[in-house]
Amino acid sequence: MIKLKIDNREVKADEGSTLISVIRESGTEVPSMCYLEDLDHFTSCMVCVVKERESGKMIPSCSRKVEEGMDIITLDEEVREARKTALDLMLSEHVGDCEAPCQVTCPAHMDIPLMNRLLAQGKFREALRVVMKDIALPAVLGRICPAPCEGACRRKPMDGAVSICLLKRYAGDHDLEQETPWNTERATSTGKKVAVVGAGPAGLAAAYHLSLLGHDCVVLDRNRLAGGSMRKEVTEDQLPGEVLDREIDRIAAAGVTFRLGQEVDLKMFTGLTGQYDAVILAVGKGNSGIGDWGLPAGSRGVDADPSTYRVDDTTLFVVGSAFKPSKMAIRALGQGKEASFSVDQFLKGKKVTGEPFLFNSRFGKLLPEEYPEYLKESVPGDRIEPEQISGGFTPRQVMEEAARCLHCDCRDLNTCKLRIYSDQYGADQRRFRSEERVTCRKLDQHDVVIYEPSKCIKCGICVRITEKHSEKYGLTFIGRGFEVVVGIPFNESLGSGLQKVAVEAAEACPTGSLTLK
Amino acid sequence: MEIDLREVEGIVNELGRETEAVIPILQAIQGKYNYLPEEALRRVCEISEITPGQIVGVASFYSQFRFRPAGQHMIKVCVGTACHVKGAVQVYDAIRRELEMESTEDTTPSGKYTVEKVNCLGCCTLAPVVQIDRVTYGHVSTAQVRSILKDFESQAGAGKSKSKFRYADGSEVKGEIRIGLGSCCVASGSDEIRDAVKDTIERKSLNVKLKHVGCVGMCHQVPLVEVVPVNGESSLYSKVNAADVEQIVEQHFQPEGFLKRVSNRLLKVADTFRDDSRWEGIDRYSLDVREKHVSSFLGKQVPVATEFRGIINPIDVEEYKERHGFLGLKKALTRLSPEQVVQHIIDSGIRGRGGAGFPTGQKWKLVASAESDQKYVICNGDEGDPGAFMDRMLLESYPYRILEGMIAAGYAVGASRGILYIRAEYPLAVTRVSEAIDICREEGFLGKNILGTGFDFDLRVYQGAGAFVCGEETALMESIEGKRGFPRIRPPFPAVKGLWGKPTLINNTETFAQIAYILKNSPEQFSRIGKGASRGTKVFALAGKVARGGLIEVPMGMTIREVVEEVGGGVAGGRSFKAVQIGGPSGGCVPSWKADTPIDFESLNEVGAMMGSGGLVVLDDTDCMVDIARYFLTFTQNEACGKCSFGRIGTKRMLEILEKITSGRGEETDLENLEKLAEWTRKGSLCGLCRTAPNPILSTLMYFREEYEAHIRGECPAGRCKELIKYEITDDCIGCTLCAQECPVEAIEFKPHEKHEVKQDLCIQCDGCRQVCPEDAVIIR
Repeated sequence: MIKLKIDNREVKADEGSTLISVIRESGTEVPSMCYLEDLDHFTSCMVCVVKERESGKMIPSCSRKVEEGMDIITLDEEVREARKTALDLMLSEHVGDCEAPCQVTCPAHMDIPLMNRLLAQGKFREALRVVMKDIALPAVLGRICPAPCEGACRRKPMDGAVSICLLKRYAGDHDLEQETPWNTERATSTGKKVAVVGAGPAGLAAAYHLSLLGHDCVVLDRNRLAGGSMRKEVTEDQLPGEVLDREIDRIAAAGVTFRLGQEVDLKMFTGLTGQYDAVILAVGKGNSGIGDWGLPAGSRGVDADPSTYRVDDTTLFVVGSAFKPSKMAIRALGQGKEASFSVDQFLKGKKVTGEPFLFNSRFGKLLPEEYPEYLKESVPGDRIEPEQISGGFTPRQVMEEAARCLHCDCRDLNTCKLRIYSDQYGADQRRFRSEERVTCRKLDQHDVVIYEPSKCIKCGICVRITEKHSEKYGLTFIGRGFEVVVGIPFNESLGSGLQKVAVEAAEACPTGSLTLK
Repeated sequence: MEIDLREVEGIVNELGRETEAVIPILQAIQGKYNYLPEEALRRVCEISEITPGQIVGVASFYSQFRFRPAGQHMIKVCVGTACHVKGAVQVYDAIRRELEMESTEDTTPSGKYTVEKVNCLGCCTLAPVVQIDRVTYGHVSTAQVRSILKDFESQAGAGKSKSKFRYADGSEVKGEIRIGLGSCCVASGSDEIRDAVKDTIERKSLNVKLKHVGCVGMCHQVPLVEVVPVNGESSLYSKVNAADVEQIVEQHFQPEGFLKRVSNRLLKVADTFRDDSRWEGIDRYSLDVREKHVSSFLGKQVPVATEFRGIINPIDVEEYKERHGFLGLKKALTRLSPEQVVQHIIDSGIRGRGGAGFPTGQKWKLVASAESDQKYVICNGDEGDPGAFMDRMLLESYPYRILEGMIAAGYAVGASRGILYIRAEYPLAVTRVSEAIDICREEGFLGKNILGTGFDFDLRVYQGAGAFVCGEETALMESIEGKRGFPRIRPPFPAVKGLWGKPTLINNTETFAQIAYILKNSPEQFSRIGKGASRGTKVFALAGKVARGGLIEVPMGMTIREVVEEVGGGVAGGRSFKAVQIGGPSGGCVPSWKADTPIDFESLNEVGAMMGSGGLVVLDDTDCMVDIARYFLTFTQNEACGKCSFGRIGTKRMLEILEKITSGRGEETDLENLEKLAEWTRKGSLCGLCRTAPNPILSTLMYFREEYEAHIRGECPAGRCKELIKYEITDDCIGCTLCAQECPVEAIEFKPHEKHEVKQDLCIQCDGCRQVCPEDAVIIR
């Protein structure tokens, strides 16, 4: 038995054990990417570094055996910085999107590629569910949103952006035609009460999501009809009142009560603050009079925390144009949704930190030589336009247009270690950015897996696996230094390269470079 | 090209089917076809244990291998440090322009020439050097590119006879004529000198022995001819011309017999009527060893590794034995126990000469005490520092000394097998050492029961395939095992788990070259030389802007100033001494105001430099320190293996920043970012290559920060960085039009008798005009 110290704790380990296993078994987490238990270590990624107390040297824990008397610090400022720097460096050569640019750009953060995939298959109801996770008023927004998502669409420079807005509209419209418009099951009542002042997009979204989470929400508005600027500043042609009514009805069906035609002045506001567990101000940018209410003033509106929308340590939250003036309903709506997360935290007595957004790897525009690569996962064809904008798409057009999606989102969104650790350590992809980047390629000639070399971090796991299992061609390192790539020898296809261990290699790949289709 | 697969099969049959035979097999295939045809590689995989993954992985790792056919003739432009500071980049560009090559191709459209940059041909004092096939051209300027191509084409087809070592017929010898034939000497024309001497001796029937000697070290004076009459003093002639040989020989030797003498005189008289030029002062080529510059160069040196330099024939084993060769080995094998040998090495204080300076005796002890059924000794001859050619010289000129050291080491640590890993770029070294090994076997110094002591030991040569990283000991071992040269983490150290997992002693060539001295004399004699914790001597390749460049061996502790000014003769051309770069791409620069720093491991570390393997490049005020840092980092980044994140990406990003700075696009934040990157690349890289890659940057930043800042402001004070300099013609212009004729892009209008002008928007800063101007009227602003 070997005796060593890990973070000043005495630990005993078998001779010949690897340092990283011993540390992990002792209960401390250590990140690792190029290390896989049954394979020889490779000492490549360096995220598993820990510090030797006496010498101060950083040692890669996956490649060292424990030694008698070792004294290890598993995490201090310097180790943290070392790991973060390793991640920063790897991110600088990692060319790929985690979430697709459309989703990242959408102020409501809607999972657009997933919606597209479902629509392309004709699964309209499922598609709507995806939309409503983030957008409470799909048919409405499908008519009035300026669609910043389409501006970010990678297909745009090719043959026209995917018509995301109209696709979303169809999903909304289709649902409204059903017997019962769809709603998630409401969670069990928490007994908490929330007052939302303002029935515009921000307020409606906040109330909707909070209600689904089990809180009792009441929406107050001085107008007789809910909708805020969506009612007042949009023409009937663009947004028929009936559509707005029916989607607001859906919100009511989710458990939200409305007190319309109710002006809220300072006195009433103070009352609300006393009676309700939380109050959300969503009064918009009009002359609501709240400027005289003595609320802390920010540069553009009421001063609130940008991640949580909370005003100081009070029970008050501010969203929408009252917080920061915006012309986009979708932005207000997105904030309302995000605020529901923090209000929920608050009401449940948790620390109010706001909705967490995971790290996203991003890169610039696609280059023309990359268009054919991305088209491998899509269909050719120009952007489809409807007969008349007001009519929207036909079901067949929906399926064809949705199929034009390039699926820029990474398949390993939730399992990619590079993403997870970059998030954990606060990595910065722009820190070591370069003016050049490798071109994206997609090797998809395989039944089961797909390989994107531009996402590869050269950890060599797949190389070692194919070697271990005697794949005839397998994967191998080609070239040297910065230009090294992992590829199939003799330019054979991916299918030839991975005949036996494709699944195992794809599952072992720490990034989304080699994944299951 | 038609590939006869039976030839491929023949190669595999000869070299073996095991995976570790892959590199020799690839070298043989490329030797035959000039590149690696895919079918040949596939066939190899079919008939051996080598897999496609392995063969492609290995072939694509090493620079030597090509996957596409090369041109008929290879033009290699040396971009070693000494050549770089003398303008190799401009020469390379000029050749490409002259041959009208496409920017993305390395081979001319007709397929006649392939042009490539190579790391250090080892002829630094002839910088810039260009090698076309087997012909080496020295001191090539951009203006001469056309003429060397013409010269090569006129020679092509004229086969050169293979050089052989020949002695006179053994009859009474009147003396000896010694000609240096190291690679450097040959590159400067010693071959022709030798032929001329041979011719002269034969024609005049002189009883004079012609002897080839290894490197004398005075590379700045080659070709060197030393005449040693049996009676009388020896005379040293430098920069000898083939045309002068006859006179030199005559000066010292007269042919036997009255008639011969008379006929010679008559012939001579007849000759002189035909050609006056021969009378001209051969005297000025004669050097007296007592002459100041020669004695300064040689006087302060202490030959240990280079003992008997210039005297001894590299491959003559009898001569080596006469001069105490193998004495140390005999002593060790017959009178000392292995432990005692190890102790001798410890007592001598010798430290590794490859750069890290690890106490050699300690390393030997570690290997000796490891328990195993098999141990190995490896000589690291993968000297890759651009501008360093010490090990090449040692291997070419003193092969027996190195072998002796290795055999003694084998005895001391209990190894029975040894390998000399020699760079691909040193073909002469490979041949000499292989020959020396054969002779040692015949002599009983290698093989079974050496000198009747029951000790078995044998050696073989392994040729590298072009990867600087394989100078790193763990990468070297991976290479021998037939893999990509990826370093392994240490621990475990090679002494415990090395080649094939067995305890391995791996030392640098120069280290082994010094062992014989320690054993044949005594540890104390060695440790008496030197300073502090750095005992003994060190061989340096002194090059760059120094008057007398060459290979020198000096005691540890000599100061930089002494080396540069006394041994090297100071900075050439009337320029001022700015700094020395020590330790190549892993090293640092020491500015002139710190020139009194002694050259030993500790003192150099203290000033931010590093001993390194022995490259010592002198820089003057026309050298840009930022450019030097960029030059070294370009080298290391190109040679990085790519395995670890910090090394692979860190070096690349640092280089990108440096390129920004030297091309005039630098920003304020760049220096900070550079320093941060340097700090992390040092801390996080797996092996010494990338760990020390930031050193040139950090040391130049430390001493010459203002130069970096000037570049960010858009100036290059030394006048080197192309994007930041302008070529201008002063009023000294006499209108001779040479510059206009020279300019490859017609940026100077042809105006006879008028002052010429450089059109800045067309100028490509090739330096051609400045080189041809007879009035020095072209300046760099």
